[in-house]
Amino acid sequence: MMKVLEGSQAVAEAVRLARVKVVSAYPITPQTHIVEELARYCAEGSLDGRFICVESEHSAMASVIGSAAGGVRSFTASSSHGLAYMHEMLHWAAGARLPIVMVDVNRALGPGWNLWMDQSDSLSQRDTGWMQFYCADGQEALDTTLQAFRLAEMVHLPAMVNLDAFFLSHTYEPVEVPDAQTVDAFLPPYEPPFKMDQGHPLGLCGVAPPGVYMEMRRNMQMAMDSVPDLLDQIEDDFFIRFGRRYGSLETYRCADADVVVVTTGTASGTARVAVDQLREQGEKAGLLRLRLFRPFPSRAVRQALEKIEKAAVLDRNCSFGSGGIFANELKAALHGKGGTAVYSYISGLGGRDITVDLIKELYTKTRDADRPDSESVWLGLKEELMLR
Amino acid sequence: MREAAKRIIPVPLLMSNAFAPTTSNKTGHWSPSQPRYQNKTAPCSVHCPCGQDIPRVELLAARRRFRDAWRLLLSENPFPGVCGRVCFHPCERGCNRGLFDAPVSIHALERFLDDEAWNNGYEMETPAVSSSGKRIAVIGSGPAGLAAAYFFSRLGHACDVFEVESHAGGLLRYGIPSYRLPLLALEREIKRIESLGVRIFCSYRVDADFLSQARQSYDALFIGCGNGRSKRLGIPGEELAVDGLCFLKQSMQNGSKSLEKAAGPLASPSTAAVIGGGNSAMDVARSLLRLGISPLIVYRRRAEDMPAFSDEIRRASAEGVQFIELSAPLSITAGQSGLTLRIQRMRTDGLGPDGRMRVAPIPGDTDLLQIDQIYAAIGADAAEPWMMPPPTADRLLLYHSVSLLNSEKTLPTVYGGDLVNAEESVADAIASGKEAAIVLDAYFKGGSACVAPAVERCRIGSGQGLSMELYMHGPRGQRSGRVVEFADLNAAYFDHSQAGRGEVIPPALSIGSFAEIEKTLDREEAVRQAERCFQCGLCNDCDNCRTFCPEVAVLIKADKGLQPDSAAAGWQRWIDADFCKGCGICVTECPRCAMVLEEPPI
Amino acid sequence: MTHELYNGPELMYSGHVGCPGCGATIAMKLALRALGQATMVVIPASCWAIIASSYPQTSLKVPVLNTAFASTAAACTGLRAALDMRGATFTTVLGWAGDGGTFDIGFQALSAAAERGEDFIYICYDNEAYMNTGVQRSSSTPFGARTMTTPDSSWKRTEKKNMVEILAAHRIPYAATASIAFPEDLERKLRKAKAIRTGLRFIHLYASCPTGWGYAPAQTVQVARTAVLCNAFPLYEVEDGLTYTLNRTGSLPVADYLKMQSRFRHLDAQTIQDIQDRVDLELQRLRQKAQPAGLESAVPAAASPGL
Repeated sequence: MMKVLEGSQAVAEAVRLARVKVVSAYPITPQTHIVEELARYCAEGSLDGRFICVESEHSAMASVIGSAAGGVRSFTASSSHGLAYMHEMLHWAAGARLPIVMVDVNRALGPGWNLWMDQSDSLSQRDTGWMQFYCADGQEALDTTLQAFRLAEMVHLPAMVNLDAFFLSHTYEPVEVPDAQTVDAFLPPYEPPFKMDQGHPLGLCGVAPPGVYMEMRRNMQMAMDSVPDLLDQIEDDFFIRFGRRYGSLETYRCADADVVVVTTGTASGTARVAVDQLREQGEKAGLLRLRLFRPFPSRAVRQALEKIEKAAVLDRNCSFGSGGIFANELKAALHGKGGTAVYSYISGLGGRDITVDLIKELYTKTRDADRPDSESVWLGLKEELMLR
Repeated sequence: MREAAKRIIPVPLLMSNAFAPTTSNKTGHWSPSQPRYQNKTAPCSVHCPCGQDIPRVELLAARRRFRDAWRLLLSENPFPGVCGRVCFHPCERGCNRGLFDAPVSIHALERFLDDEAWNNGYEMETPAVSSSGKRIAVIGSGPAGLAAAYFFSRLGHACDVFEVESHAGGLLRYGIPSYRLPLLALEREIKRIESLGVRIFCSYRVDADFLSQARQSYDALFIGCGNGRSKRLGIPGEELAVDGLCFLKQSMQNGSKSLEKAAGPLASPSTAAVIGGGNSAMDVARSLLRLGISPLIVYRRRAEDMPAFSDEIRRASAEGVQFIELSAPLSITAGQSGLTLRIQRMRTDGLGPDGRMRVAPIPGDTDLLQIDQIYAAIGADAAEPWMMPPPTADRLLLYHSVSLLNSEKTLPTVYGGDLVNAEESVADAIASGKEAAIVLDAYFKGGSACVAPAVERCRIGSGQGLSMELYMHGPRGQRSGRVVEFADLNAAYFDHSQAGRGEVIPPALSIGSFAEIEKTLDREEAVRQAERCFQCGLCNDCDNCRTFCPEVAVLIKADKGLQPDSAAAGWQRWIDADFCKGCGICVTECPRCAMVLEEPPI
Repeated sequence: MTHELYNGPELMYSGHVGCPGCGATIAMKLALRALGQATMVVIPASCWAIIASSYPQTSLKVPVLNTAFASTAAACTGLRAALDMRGATFTTVLGWAGDGGTFDIGFQALSAAAERGEDFIYICYDNEAYMNTGVQRSSSTPFGARTMTTPDSSWKRTEKKNMVEILAAHRIPYAATASIAFPEDLERKLRKAKAIRTGLRFIHLYASCPTGWGYAPAQTVQVARTAVLCNAFPLYEVEDGLTYTLNRTGSLPVADYLKMQSRFRHLDAQTIQDIQDRVDLELQRLRQKAQPAGLESAVPAAASPGL
């Protein structure tokens, strides 16, 4: 059924369709609409689950770890400081190999307080062992949430689905909400390979001495390694049932492009307009949108950029002292391949708008440069503020 | 596409989900210290001349296993009913509970158990011992002789007892008034001894000839004749005094008529003086009270120096017996209205070498007592010389309460009872009979050299009491001889509680008859009293060791799939050395010192 | 007095790696005896995290979920929710945290779970410092104690938090103190706690620590008992946050307790008297709260008197 939904509501619909049994969350702007919606579902009974109003994000993650270890499908959502606050438990969830799905609404961290779009929160969690998806629109948010459950339960790793603050979380769009029966066929009830079970008592998450810890971590890496192929399989199945697929990345007009703009999230929509306009002007512009960040889809990236001379990466984040994180990841993926030069741009932090003009500026700078700067280039800065 | 979806990509899942029990860690090697169950010796049983296994008796009684408790009593003493009434219960003086609140009422419980056995027709257990073919003659049927006969029989020796009086029992029958020991309580115990096959020949006067001919019929002799002849006062007019022992014997036989038989100058006296400070003096005085006479006890030392048991003195006093202390008799003269007893007033004269207060006459300080009748109760001696071991015999072996004459000329002869025993009491006499049985049995089996080791093996802790169970190699032998002191106990596990005795008839009523003064505990009270026992040194399954063991290293039979032995005092326990880290909590928390922590030698 | 021999299954294995004489292992053994097989335990960072499971071994015969330090009560909440959703409503969820994981870092989650009325039992096994990390002070460390972070003349000069009072102030259905030295009282309280399903049940369980407190391992229960009998750790329970019942106090001087342990060895007579005064005052306050229902219920001496 087609509905006009906020990104937040699309996520909540997906959680309901996934028949999640335990939702535990602590409110933080701009994640609140998701959890309010889910609280309502649980209260009215349209979702047969327990909604736990915990006192912190740390406890939110701890409690879904408890419920997932208890053997039921579990969900939480957070953002920004909340995500940072639950950082310890992100490691715990992944190390415990629990298929928790979390939606993070990407928001900047303070100080100064900033409620708006920024990817620093989720990217700070990139090494916790969570899979990470970045969604471009409401439909994708719904679909990715469903896919994330299926994938997480196959590889026994938690998954984080990221939505841009406000641009996606609070934006109404038409969203096709699939019927429950079809979703049930796509996402069967969760059958954990282990759980808290009286009949088979285990000591979950106990001490792992040096003699075994490394093998356990290698196991997590191997599970991550299996994700791209498994995601393909899942999307095959998803496509058959729902007629949509996304891949780990998406390319647009890249075949003959001189410069491919690399984006994530909602900025991709803007970039698509810019690319079209540039093409109309005779420029050979292309677009690559990354959807999967962890595991990083290196193979797909190399494939997509095989014949591309320049990639201009737009990061809405900064790893201070290093630069744009997506750009760095891209460089690492392409390292040794020779062909593609990676240009790193940082913009749109803390909710600053990404405009068509800004994308065009990024394109032009890249096109005109002989080689990339050694550091990320910040676009859209207000020079008058910088001089103070 | 759907085919692709089914392609299986293995996802490894090694994580820290522990599944194997820790029991593969043999943590027992962490410490060389190891606790061990070690039952020890309770002070009460050390204080008991008969070496009774008191903590175990009380344990069984507390569990309402009265028959077992009674049988356990009988294994060390043929007279629980008698001792439960007249024993001066040194056990209670030794009781560690005395340092906590008040001693366990061991004495009253012993009596309860025998009465319970009697009321319920419990049968005695006899040890499965085959007949030795030996025959032993026992001279004297007092507590020593009967106890000896009892233990001889239980060791497989045939026994004949010869008694000069018309009935068996000796002092128990003729020397202790029935308000302390009713005849029935005595007779049923004698009957029990006879049921073992012991033959008792009464009104049989044994003499030196009998002894010389005994070799033809017997393999050994036990002589336990007791002090049959009263000591003389040795003062002018002493013939005017009535022999206290005679009086007691007659009062036992005739009740109030005994006064006539006792034949004083007055047919119906109303006052009497009793000379002496022993139990007999108390018995005489209290019997007189019951016959309507007001007795005065005249004693040359102070009341606290009297050899009588303090309980007896206290009760005599409570019943109205008057005491004239520090007064030695000088002479008795008869007058028209009765007797005159001249007494010498005494004073204390410092402690003697035996630790007893000496007394000396106060020169010129004498007094006269006008009195209807005078009774002498200053002790007694052997009636005939052969009753005593020959003083110069070189083959005489001396033990604590008996002497063994191992002469080629005569039968092996054991002398026992009051005549050779330093301690004179019913319990000591019984102990003497038991020692005689052990001495003779060991002698039969291995000659005189075997006797001393056998006696030593039977000793209860540091005391003089011997245990027949130890002699018979019973499980009691597994206990350590270490005597448990109060400081060894973990008193935190004990609550204060009231000691209880049988109900006592108030003096105003008790002096009205010869009826027994003290009643038997009722069953519930008996259980309550038995539960007061700390069971010093004896595991009673309190389970503290297992409850507190941090290593789950204390196992019981059920852990090994075995049925607990309900007849045993304890469910057997094990320390699992594979896992015990030697912390010693079990030892500390054992309320009764029934465990020990063994540290290896450094 | 008769004593029933425990014949149920032991739910703790031998071979665990607790220190010799560890009070906390006695605590777990007794707690699981009382709660039975249908129990799941959540354990945060603590001595017990080490004792419970080190791959591939587990020392408990019931399922255990180890969780991060601050998160015991939250993990319990989630596990309870999962069990309820699975229909396993009769399974008891037991949060088992040390004093650091309860008084300090885990307090926020605990308070929240108490406020939400979560259906699980939370036991703080209290050994009065961070023992697993080598004896550093926690907010449960008592006045006067030396630890590695309150060393020498800087011994702790602030009082231990009164955790039962704090939990009682949440008006949870049941909060109680208990001690390993009084197993029958402990068992009764846990059975009671197990039967209550209307909210969080909190047990403050005293578990002495030979390693951290400085006494011989054999004295573990003795020390615990003395703590109760000198009123440094009185046994009491609070129903619905309001109804106090005093179960066991004593009359020993607190000096008897302090002198057993090297962590208090430096205290001078005046300080010991100050501690005695505080103990007396706290007991007096407790007695006042226990009025008018304040008849001390009879708990037998220490554990089992035998027989």
